[in-house]
Amino acid sequence: MISTGLTKMTKIEVVVVGGDVPAVRALFQAAGATGFTGVSGISGLGHGGYHQGRLLFNEQDTLELLITVVPDDTAGPLLEGLGTLLKESSGVMFVSETYVSRPEYFA
Amino acid sequence: MTTATATPPASSAPHAAATPPADRRLARARLQSEVTLAARLLAPMWPLERFIAVNPLGGLEDRPFEAALTAAEDAFGARGTLDEPAFRAEHLRGRITDGDLIAALIQRIGPDAEATLTLGGRQWSLAEVLRCDLLHGAPAPSPVRAARTVAERTSPRLADLVDAQTAKWCSAFLGGDAAGWRLPGRSLGLYGAWRELASADRSLPAAARRVLRDLPERADDALLDALDRLGISPSEHRGYLQAHLTCLPGWAGHVRWRAQHDGSAELVEYLALRVVHESVLLATAGERRSAALPSQAPNAAALQSPAERARTVASVLGTAADASAGELQALADVLERLPVPSRTAVWLDAYEGHYRDRLLSQLEHPRAHGGGPDASPARPAAQLVCCIDTRSEGLRRHLESLGAYETFGFAGFFAVAIRFQDLLGGQPSELCPVLIKPRHEIREEPLAGAERQAARRIAGRRLLSGAEEGFHGAKDDVAGPFALAEASGWVAGPVAAAKTLAAGRYGAIRSHLARRVEPPVPTWLTVQEGFTLDERALMAEVALRMMGLTERFGRIVALCGHGSHTDNNPYGAALECGACGGQSGGPNARTAAAILNGPDVRERLAAQGIDIPGDTWFVAAEHDTASDRIELLDEHLVPASHQAELRAFATAAHAAGELLSAERCATLPGAPKSPTPQEAARHVRARGTDWAQVYPEWGLAGNAAFIVGPRAMTQGVDLGRRAFLHSYAATADPTGTALETILTAPLVVAQWINCQYYFSTVDPEHFGAGTKTIHNAVGGIGVLSGPGGDLRRGLPWQSLSDGDRLVHEPMRLLAIVEAPLERIDAIVERNTVLQHLFGNGWVALAAREHPSDPWLRHTPHGWQPWTTQEVPAR
Repeated sequence: MISTGLTKMTKIEVVVVGGDVPAVRALFQAAGATGFTGVSGISGLGHGGYHQGRLLFNEQDTLELLITVVPDDTAGPLLEGLGTLLKESSGVMFVSETYVSRPEYFA
Repeated sequence: MTTATATPPASSAPHAAATPPADRRLARARLQSEVTLAARLLAPMWPLERFIAVNPLGGLEDRPFEAALTAAEDAFGARGTLDEPAFRAEHLRGRITDGDLIAALIQRIGPDAEATLTLGGRQWSLAEVLRCDLLHGAPAPSPVRAARTVAERTSPRLADLVDAQTAKWCSAFLGGDAAGWRLPGRSLGLYGAWRELASADRSLPAAARRVLRDLPERADDALLDALDRLGISPSEHRGYLQAHLTCLPGWAGHVRWRAQHDGSAELVEYLALRVVHESVLLATAGERRSAALPSQAPNAAALQSPAERARTVASVLGTAADASAGELQALADVLERLPVPSRTAVWLDAYEGHYRDRLLSQLEHPRAHGGGPDASPARPAAQLVCCIDTRSEGLRRHLESLGAYETFGFAGFFAVAIRFQDLLGGQPSELCPVLIKPRHEIREEPLAGAERQAARRIAGRRLLSGAEEGFHGAKDDVAGPFALAEASGWVAGPVAAAKTLAAGRYGAIRSHLARRVEPPVPTWLTVQEGFTLDERALMAEVALRMMGLTERFGRIVALCGHGSHTDNNPYGAALECGACGGQSGGPNARTAAAILNGPDVRERLAAQGIDIPGDTWFVAAEHDTASDRIELLDEHLVPASHQAELRAFATAAHAAGELLSAERCATLPGAPKSPTPQEAARHVRARGTDWAQVYPEWGLAGNAAFIVGPRAMTQGVDLGRRAFLHSYAATADPTGTALETILTAPLVVAQWINCQYYFSTVDPEHFGAGTKTIHNAVGGIGVLSGPGGDLRRGLPWQSLSDGDRLVHEPMRLLAIVEAPLERIDAIVERNTVLQHLFGNGWVALAAREHPSDPWLRHTPHGWQPWTTQEVPAR
């Protein structure tokens, strides 16, 4: 159920190794995303086995979660670029509908 | 958790005046990812003033080592190992033995190596015939770059022009700041600035300049258009962009670093500049793409066929006349199991095996004596914690020989990742490995009552800096040099002569003058502001557990960072501490000592089971690896009760430095070969101040092993300053957290250093910086060989060899770990970076759980005995 006044957008969550984070951020920028949130030190189990979360002195080889929210018409190109990247990289992407109260921040 | 807001660069603003068609937006996004993927072949290149060692093939570590070398050969035309004549020369002089070759062949082809075949009525093992082929087969031809641009294939003249234009604009845009002038329009980014000026570039034909007037505003659009004009389809983009990125990998690598570091230049911009140039120049010159884009294999025809190889081997074995056609065919089949391009990999295994077998054998029965960390219950005279840097091994060995001193190895940033602002102000230094970001701001402040001294020192520094800037400013100015020569020539000439002919005396006078103008000031660091108590306690516990120093503390524990002070050496940062981001580690040692001396931190440590006695004092020090001087830092903070021990330790450290100098003189070009320690010390000090000295020290040349374990494992063994030594006690690390940190951080940095030395040596043209004698510095970011061309990557030839004699033996790193094997397995299993390094052959891993256990080799099939069974030569 959606409250009145909220605007539908697309939320994209990407988990990649720290070394690939600049590439994903560049892609966000090039596609027109106006911001993102990053969460470092992600751990988890994937088809490649368990991935260590936080490493004390190495931020390049730990996993990071990047979250961005974009208008639906921006999502297409961004997903195209991320899809190309993730075909050749370890990482996962989740795409979902989301709703925001201040759409002008995201467009 | 971190949150950030993206700010698009000016040249790639996401919202143009009119919304572009959907297919263009898709193409842009796809292109961005293709550029990212293409650039993985390219290592980021840090500016020279903060030289960071990198594996030039770091982007290929997810592939087996040999496969990565093949990819590098195709992309760069680069060699990934020494060539066969070089390996055969090493065999001739005994550095590689027949036994090493046989062992390497057994490793490669397994038990079949002992099978036999018949030639002319005589029996030969497969290993023997393959060894014969290694020694006598026609060498593989030199590698040739296979992936090439349209211009490279159709018009080498225009390809050279594209390279020249790229180098010119990159130099102007990226090097201009440090050179004292800025490219107009620099705020528009690399592409934007070039776009503003390109149509006025008189070095281009008028027809080309006309086309350049109408370039799109965005770099990605310009690049897409140019690729389209060249007829490169989207499915070919990645390969084609890679061909452009590898034309001038130095400039491209530096742009990649900029993109990751501060976004001041992007690879899309760099590629747009190149590919637009190419498409416009080809079009205006009437030269077009003439063929499809197949990868070439220009060397395929030059390789000896299996039949030819068989005839060569049979001839060398003296059986050519007697062997039947069937026997020769069987021999050819055997030789096909080791294709010609793979022979150097076997040679490399043998070359490495020779060193590794002997090293592991030495470590089976270390000649431990004196006070090892766990050898004696008595309290040590003092303890010294050095950086893991290979150069520390010599210092530790000599200090231990002088008394009951214990030594430890730990990454030279001492677990404090700081941004440091010294007393003199200026740009803060980021003092930590580049794998992490500094999280703590530390300032240097004068002690209470020393403010006037501090003011005098700061004024003195400004005076010297002003004079230096004025001199260099006048030198770089258009008309200034003429006036400068008149005004300062009378003093500059004698100074230059003194620096050349009496470097040692000149250095002493300069130090004396510097002390007069900038007198030393007692200072302290703002550690309490930079770290919370929780952070300080955590850092202290992590550091002590990682190095296995959790009991038996001495009254003096010296934390010794290192740096290297040399004159007129653009590669000076390559000699500094890698764990401190290519800078001196003194401030880190001071910070760590201050933390470990804190009563509140010690209280927390005691609660965690680490009891540091009340009379233990941590003191900071710094080892100058060029002069082998060990300078104690913050001596004024040491209590009077410890001054006597401190003096005794300082005397021993000084003597150890002199002994190390004498050891180093044996291999330094032009050094006295059998000096007394005092003579050696004078000599190495003079080298550092000699502005004409191209061999101030050997840095980490020779590095080949990374040893993780207690000092008892290596004590008494002369490791020849070739091993990174990280102290570790498995018993002090029940969770394995410390070992995981060591393997995922210090080992990774050591592997980068190892690979930089390795590749700079095996192919100095592609991966090294060439000879220093023709270097031209470009605005603090790198050097060129001569007036133009690519930014040189890697290390200069004088860091690796003495003339034609290799000082650095190019071998991959061997990691040696004393820890429970299950613990190592679990750590590797959850860290992809270690799976790549160990599983793909970039680093070899040997381990044992207890000192009495035999060494085991980590293989894809589990742990195997290290020792290989040799096939006896017939």
